[in-house]
Amino acid sequence: MSESRPSPRWLPAALVVALLALAALFVGPDRVLRLAAEVAPREPALRDLPAAAGWSLLRMTASYLASVVVAWIAGYAAATRPGAARILLPLLDVGQSVPVLGFFPAAIYVFITLLGGGRVSLELAAIFLIFTSQVWNLAFGVYEGLSTIPHETRAAVESLGVRGLLLWRTLLLPACVPSLLYNSILSWANGWYFLIACEIIVAGPVKYDLPGLGSMLSRALARGDLTLAIGDLIALVGVVLALELLVWRPLRAWSRRFRYDTQSDERVSGARTLPDLALPALVRPLRAAARALWRRLPLARLNHALAAIGAGTVRAGRTLRRPLLVLSAAAAVLALVAVGAALRPPWPAEAASLPLALLLSFLRINAAYVLALLWIIPVALWVSDRPRALRALSVVAQVGASIPATAFFPVLVALLVGRFGGMEFISIALALTGMQWYLLFNLLAGVGRVPQDLRESLRALGLTRREIHRSLVLPACMPSLVTGSVAAWGGTWNALILSEYVVYRGHVYQVLGLGALLNRATFETGSRSLLFLSLGLLVLTVVSFNRLVWDRLYRYVNTRYRLEA
Amino acid sequence: MLLLNRLSKSVEDRGRTIPVIQDVTLEVPERQFLCIVGPSGSGKSTLLRLMMGLTPPTSGTLYYHGLPLDGVNLRAAMVFQSFALLPWLTVQANVELGLRARDLPDEECRRRAAYYLDKVGLDGFKEAYPGELSGGMKQRAALARALAVEPDLLCMDEPFSGLDALTSANLREEVLGLWADLALPVHTVVMVTHIIEEAVLMADRVVVLTSRPGRIAADMPVTLPRPRNKRDPGFDEMVDSIFEKIV
Repeated sequence: MSESRPSPRWLPAALVVALLALAALFVGPDRVLRLAAEVAPREPALRDLPAAAGWSLLRMTASYLASVVVAWIAGYAAATRPGAARILLPLLDVGQSVPVLGFFPAAIYVFITLLGGGRVSLELAAIFLIFTSQVWNLAFGVYEGLSTIPHETRAAVESLGVRGLLLWRTLLLPACVPSLLYNSILSWANGWYFLIACEIIVAGPVKYDLPGLGSMLSRALARGDLTLAIGDLIALVGVVLALELLVWRPLRAWSRRFRYDTQSDERVSGARTLPDLALPALVRPLRAAARALWRRLPLARLNHALAAIGAGTVRAGRTLRRPLLVLSAAAAVLALVAVGAALRPPWPAEAASLPLALLLSFLRINAAYVLALLWIIPVALWVSDRPRALRALSVVAQVGASIPATAFFPVLVALLVGRFGGMEFISIALALTGMQWYLLFNLLAGVGRVPQDLRESLRALGLTRREIHRSLVLPACMPSLVTGSVAAWGGTWNALILSEYVVYRGHVYQVLGLGALLNRATFETGSRSLLFLSLGLLVLTVVSFNRLVWDRLYRYVNTRYRLEA
Repeated sequence: MLLLNRLSKSVEDRGRTIPVIQDVTLEVPERQFLCIVGPSGSGKSTLLRLMMGLTPPTSGTLYYHGLPLDGVNLRAAMVFQSFALLPWLTVQANVELGLRARDLPDEECRRRAAYYLDKVGLDGFKEAYPGELSGGMKQRAALARALAVEPDLLCMDEPFSGLDALTSANLREEVLGLWADLALPVHTVVMVTHIIEEAVLMADRVVVLTSRPGRIAADMPVTLPRPRNKRDPGFDEMVDSIFEKIV
């Protein structure tokens, strides 16, 4: 069906030109470096905007592609090998909850030590960091997609003798499309958040430079150039929205085809038209090319080779298990020794303020959390019985969540510095901007899931709106509220690292807190022991708080307030 | 042509070993329509998956045409209760799947898929996606997919349980028609069901399994003349005598 409509003739040519341009950018790292050197030292101006947007987008794309590959390997291993799942799933869980931004200073440190202080190490550090913000839920997405393949479908495909590459093409890859795509949207939003953060951090206290929308914004504001700042923000929002409209939305529509619905439902009429409407014109020649390639593949030989490689890896794994164990044990000991050395007293005098800093950061997050709930819960309840408002607000929340809150940090700082109690107020406000979308987004989803018949039965019993809110809507939203809270909490620790220590117009504004200490250790005192101490404390706090509070609350709420039987 | 020799299967659950199938010896001769019935949890589906080679037995051996079976039996095909079609492939591509796995040329894949889709009455729905079909049509597509690999044994796991009464009655008749069709290569059928009337209506022979673990409780031929009807004399007696063996 989709083949019958001819694709525009210029498309393949345009595609080739685009690919060549990409290749030209990447061939020869020295050329890239020279280009970078030309861009870097100059103060940014409005005409650098497209280049900045391009660099940011390139960084995002690189880390996203790396994330997808790693996520596939991890997710596949976890879904097919129980032994791997036992190790990988908790690892992914911790990776997801740890505030990655805290590791950015450490990552810069590592990459610069390894590769020297050039642009490449900064780029790699930034890409690595964005990668660590994207990979976890992508891996969960692959794992979920593979492990929710219905048993009978799996058995049916096996009973037909489908194996090897054909199995990947017809079952394993398509089965992951919906969950991978859903998680990609989250990952991409996370990535923007971190990308902007990285660029701001780098452009702030250090004299390094990563050309991009984030660094341009913080530089523009630092010298008070409002035109450039506004232009930069518009460009950022424009890029995010364009991606949402041109890439994610069509892909989401297309991915509906990859769901299993055993019973036919009302979506059927849509399903017939979707693939054609939704596939952007660009995809069609790509798909045709992929099909032609597939037809030419020497499948039998490839399968044979793959099977041999698989068997070889298993055999190698078995013989290498002992040495590998010894090696990883040695590496663990080495890492412990290194951390021990870094943590060895005498500690700098600042270390004494760590407990207080932790407490203050914790209080700041709580304040932001309470403030966010104070406006979100009433709003969510208000829209709960107004379907049209609910839909409109959901779109707003979706867009709001996809625009990186970090971009507004410099703006907020520029507006608020020296006013309303100064830095203390700013850091809470910044934490709030990072936190509220997660909460709103999840709470709206929860409100939307309250079954209409339950609500109507309560109305028939003569309950007032307020009573219905209290006895039905609020309890029914509890699971989504907790889910949103977990994500918001994790995100806010990240925001604090950025918001407790701000460079504006050459001045450093800071409040006592864990995030500020981390920044000071990296950029001011250069104290490795303080860096490791605050990092360790941060990770410990977040992980134990998740385990002790959120996990339990999540389990309790999900058994107590689940609506479906 | 299929021989199960003292077949047992057990699964591990939280460190405990639970026997599902115990010591089943059974021979399925060519051109037989065999039904396996039993209470839920009797391991009927597991027994069928063992016959198909989808899961290895814990002990005992399967022989197919006198040779021990190791791995998926590529000369057999299976139909499932949930239809198990891939929602992202068209009906045609679903039917071609098993043929592609056998590395048949494109031309042959298309020809055979078209032939069997026509046989099950889905001629005009080649380009449709499974989501656009009714339950009965989905099961027809699944049937065509199984027949297209031209198996000499057809395994069916409660193939009519996911359908409404009228559709399943129709499809039952059609499956019997396909089974009797001399132009088709498949003449041996093993079907799992929990509906005794269905077994009596369709089978040459009914094997009754006990519950947890599944053992053979009874093995009885059904000699009622075909075509059968629920109102035939002797039908109810047959159903009752099977029912007694189950409880």
